[in-house]
Amino acid sequence: MKQFSTLLLKEWRENLRNYKVFWIPVVFILLGVTEPLSNYYLPQILDATGGLPDGAVIELPDPEPEQLLVAVMGQFQLIGMLVLVLAYMGSIAGERRNGTATLLYVRPLSYVSYFLSKWLMASIVALISVWAGFLAGYYYTAVLFSAVPFGEFVAFAATYSLWMVLVVTLILFASAAMPNAGLAAGLTLAALLILQLVDSLFGSRWEWSPLKLPNYAASFLDIGPDATALTWTLAVSLVCLIGLAALGIWFSKRNRAKTKV
Amino acid sequence: MDMVDERTILLVLPILVLQIALMIFALVDLIRNPNPNGPKWMWAAIIVLVNIIGPILYFVIGRRNY
Repeated sequence: MKQFSTLLLKEWRENLRNYKVFWIPVVFILLGVTEPLSNYYLPQILDATGGLPDGAVIELPDPEPEQLLVAVMGQFQLIGMLVLVLAYMGSIAGERRNGTATLLYVRPLSYVSYFLSKWLMASIVALISVWAGFLAGYYYTAVLFSAVPFGEFVAFAATYSLWMVLVVTLILFASAAMPNAGLAAGLTLAALLILQLVDSLFGSRWEWSPLKLPNYAASFLDIGPDATALTWTLAVSLVCLIGLAALGIWFSKRNRAKTKV
Repeated sequence: MDMVDERTILLVLPILVLQIALMIFALVDLIRNPNPNGPKWMWAAIIVLVNIIGPILYFVIGRRNY
């Protein structure tokens, strides 16, 4: 336990000094604010950019606030996830390359603490970012359009948070399993893209898949997801999370044997 | 065409503040970074001139944190 808190402190200092604690949430907040704001100013933007004949009148229906929050989630799924992958791809692979890992390997190190300290810190940053971004989006949507019931919003953001933690686990697993940061990012992005493609093509055949977490999160803003499907998805996601973490710990342990000094 | 009324300024102000904060984080880090991935003046130009994306690019590519 002492080792874990020491390692966690090291991770915290590292994240503080390379400003990840600041700039990743800022990016998410900007994503969350931009979506409602650009929708609000869409008529003026169309006006200013032109391209429409004089006198053309376009009636834009006011977007539903729920749609805007789902659009914010879409931004997180694309840009937010890319930012997280690029920020944390090197958390284990990079330490092996720059020599920090060698310093750790010569000590009696618990690899469970080693992996979990990194995982916890990255998850904390990811969760702060997601919640800050969603709250910013929620606030702007409420001010400019109308408010989504706060309970629904919390259920939506909480379900999406589990998905983000799962993505962070995948990133750290890839970082432990791959020899360098670039390959780790490649593996994570390829896995996410392929799995999402498979799930969107054949996903109607099954209901319990962690990849459906964002969909279930979005449906909280609508009619609410099917309770049994959601429960099983949560269970499967937790199993995937624990499995990926266990594999990540095993790979970090194996990295030690492969170190050449 | 007076699109820039007081309401617009109030709405867009948080974005500007965040953008400038991001820029300052990136610039401070660049100044203190002994070995960035590429010339310092180039990164300074990218951070200052390219909105939002510039600082992110610096943190992801220019920082050599791996």
